[in-house]
Amino acid sequence: MGSILGDLPSFDPHNFSQHRPSDPSNPSRMVPTTYHPTHNRTLPPPHQVITTEVKNILIRSFYQRAEDKMRPKRPASEHLAGEHGNKHFRASSSSAQGL
Amino acid sequence: MFSSGNVTCRVFERQIRSSPPGASVNRARKFYENLVPSHTLYDVECPDHCFRKFTEDGLFLISFSRNHQELVVYRPSWLTYTSDSDDTLPPLPRRASRFDSFFTQLYSVNLASANELICKDFFLYFPSRRFGLFATSTAQIHDSAPSPGAVPGVPSIDKITFVLLRLDDGVVLDERVFLHDFVNLAYNMGVFMYDDLVAILSLRYQKIHLLQIRDSGHLVDARAIGYFCREDDELFLNSNSQAMMMTTTQDKNKQQDREDDGENGLRHTQPNADNSFLSGIKQRLLSFIFREIWNEEPDNTMRVQSLKKKFYFHFQDYVDLIIWKVQFLDRHHLLIKFGSVDGGVGRNADHLPAFFAVYNMETTDIVAFYQNSAEDLYQLFEQFSDHFTVSSSSPFMNFVTSHSNSVHALEQLKYLKNKSNSFSQFVKKMLVSLPFSCQSQSPSPYFDQSLFRFDEKLISAADRHRQSSDNPIKFISRRKPETLKFKIKPGPECGSADGRSKKICSFLFHPHLPLAISIQQTLFMPPSVVNIHFRR
Repeated sequence: MGSILGDLPSFDPHNFSQHRPSDPSNPSRMVPTTYHPTHNRTLPPPHQVITTEVKNILIRSFYQRAEDKMRPKRPASEHLAGEHGNKHFRASSSSAQGL
Repeated sequence: MFSSGNVTCRVFERQIRSSPPGASVNRARKFYENLVPSHTLYDVECPDHCFRKFTEDGLFLISFSRNHQELVVYRPSWLTYTSDSDDTLPPLPRRASRFDSFFTQLYSVNLASANELICKDFFLYFPSRRFGLFATSTAQIHDSAPSPGAVPGVPSIDKITFVLLRLDDGVVLDERVFLHDFVNLAYNMGVFMYDDLVAILSLRYQKIHLLQIRDSGHLVDARAIGYFCREDDELFLNSNSQAMMMTTTQDKNKQQDREDDGENGLRHTQPNADNSFLSGIKQRLLSFIFREIWNEEPDNTMRVQSLKKKFYFHFQDYVDLIIWKVQFLDRHHLLIKFGSVDGGVGRNADHLPAFFAVYNMETTDIVAFYQNSAEDLYQLFEQFSDHFTVSSSSPFMNFVTSHSNSVHALEQLKYLKNKSNSFSQFVKKMLVSLPFSCQSQSPSPYFDQSLFRFDEKLISAADRHRQSSDNPIKFISRRKPETLKFKIKPGPECGSADGRSKKICSFLFHPHLPLAISIQQTLFMPPSVVNIHFRR
């Protein structure tokens, strides 16, 4: 066969005998396996542009500490409620999509 | 990174395996374990110049003539010779122990005129265009007459000239002159270069002059921070004071002196004694301290108490602070060290209280303010020390060992921390090195702590003179502990005859070739012994 692999030495002369090199004149009908996502939870937000933060980490920490000091101190109870408020139960969605 | 220590094995391994991600420079530096400057040429006959340093790209060796008026620039080359002997290490020719076998003189330029001297400890290199910044100055006057705007107690120098020179051919490109001013020139302390910006701190007038180096070689004034913070502050204040002048001359007629008129604001930048405004940067600082203390307490009465105790009690001390040193943290942020007037010039100001402030030049805000015993600042210094020693875009300079990028240096630091009796004293001692001086560390891989272990008291990457000892300085491999890789012995081969006189030595390492110069001199007598260490 006029294959690219040609007559390279090999242990068994029948190896690669069924190899049909891809030829532009008769395109293969086989479509390679493709995978599509089944959900859109992990899509990036539209028009997202990722850039490197200009301020280096040292300067970011200076600003961070300054903000922490400048923010007037809130009573403890308010602070805790805020943290928990961000979390939602995810049990319902995962059970619907479970394996 | 390499499985063997043998250089041939390493070369073969380099052909087939790529380095771990992000570690290609580290892997390339491993080869310096195999190529070491182990051969020494003692007491090389060389011209009697003060050798200053190699530029960080290794293209030039900067030196000054003994009378401190000329700049002499050499190109480091390498000794070449032929030999027809069969030994693996053929004997060196006689001309090997001459300075010009290793260095070719490019040119010698006169920078200082009659009564000026080049400051031999000052040199800044601009790598992208290969420009060098030098400084010449006249003599220092200690008891200078007070002039308006000057801080009393700071000496004055009649004329300081900063010269920008193209190192390829020695052409002077631009100059900047400061008259009756004082800039701390020793070891680049008063000047900091970041990319193409140069910050020059005028201690006497408490101004930070920002200059930009253009590609054409011009030094352009960008900003002057001190009395004014924004570029148009001066215009604004002048136009206001002119309006005030119009009203006051209409009110008080001919009883005013002419002198009084001249002083009261029509003169340009310097504030006079009657002007009760503090300088712009001082106002920013005081208002930041005020707001910080204000926000600490939620309760109003507690706030006022806290302010009285922490702010108003020390108000005059805060007002009397002067800027000691400045460095860039990035293109828009400066780290400014404040202290009292006594410690501005002298070097032994370690025991005096000092403060650090981070200043944003664009918004003219102070971002952070710390005392020199602040543990917060020490934590940042320990974790992000590399970001303090920020420098321009040259790739070698990012690999200078510091305790943030080397486990061994961090271990040493932790050992010192545990050994010290008082943590706040330790913090003060460590923070004395902030703000860092520009371009003061050698990028040579022989100072890399992950490759070699050496005695930091005898030799290190910082380019300062050290006490010299007669014993050679050993560089021991980290990879295989206790294996001596090479030795550097300053001074003549058999030690010097006079063992009593104090000797200091300095080392100049080439940034990427296995070549080093050690210069040993006694304190008072000029002739120095120059050795060349190289790989044979």
